[in-house]
Amino acid sequence: MKKNTFYLMCGCIALILLAIFWYSVEIHNPLFIEIAFLIGITIAYFARKRVTDLVEDERSAKINEQAVLRTFQVFWVVFCAFSIGAVMQILYIPQGPRVFFPQPPLALLSPRMMGYFQLALLCLMIFLYVGFRIYYARKYGDWETDEE
Amino acid sequence: MKNKIKVFRAMHDMTQEDLAQAIGVTRQTILAIEKGKYVPSLDLAFRIARHFRVNIEEVFMYDD
Repeated sequence: MKKNTFYLMCGCIALILLAIFWYSVEIHNPLFIEIAFLIGITIAYFARKRVTDLVEDERSAKINEQAVLRTFQVFWVVFCAFSIGAVMQILYIPQGPRVFFPQPPLALLSPRMMGYFQLALLCLMIFLYVGFRIYYARKYGDWETDEE
Repeated sequence: MKNKIKVFRAMHDMTQEDLAQAIGVTRQTILAIEKGKYVPSLDLAFRIARHFRVNIEEVFMYDD
């Protein structure tokens, strides 16, 4: 399979997943999109293994490695800060009568809000990875031009 | 780390693409090595030197 065919295929999978997501919201069945997402990723993974004109050498492996490492280093700090905040909310014990020190609003910790936070963190992880990937690709000469 | 890949390529009348295909890397990697943006692993350095049938010290020079 050619590289461009693979990219087109990924685009098609993304569009189909978006349609399934919409349908899943319509029928209010999250399991539908969850299974579809897993199948979509599996198809993309096996399609990726069949790409023939995508040469991966030690430089591209190093770029990936560095980008993943830096993403992880930044992400765990953000994730830890978020988790500490969430744990603080759970462990909150009012000092004195509850009348004067009411419990913090639980809406912040509702499953729906946690889902949004997780989605935001996932987006952050993707942005961090793309940013670091561009940085290291530039550092190791990905966009260098030559007279040839 | 300095290198003479460009010189050896010229001596063997090879393009970056030719060399890249011969040793199984991308053209960008050869370009990055030539420009000093990327220091190759020992394995890749040996493969490049062997391709030109010379010792590794003749292609790569350690810069103090």
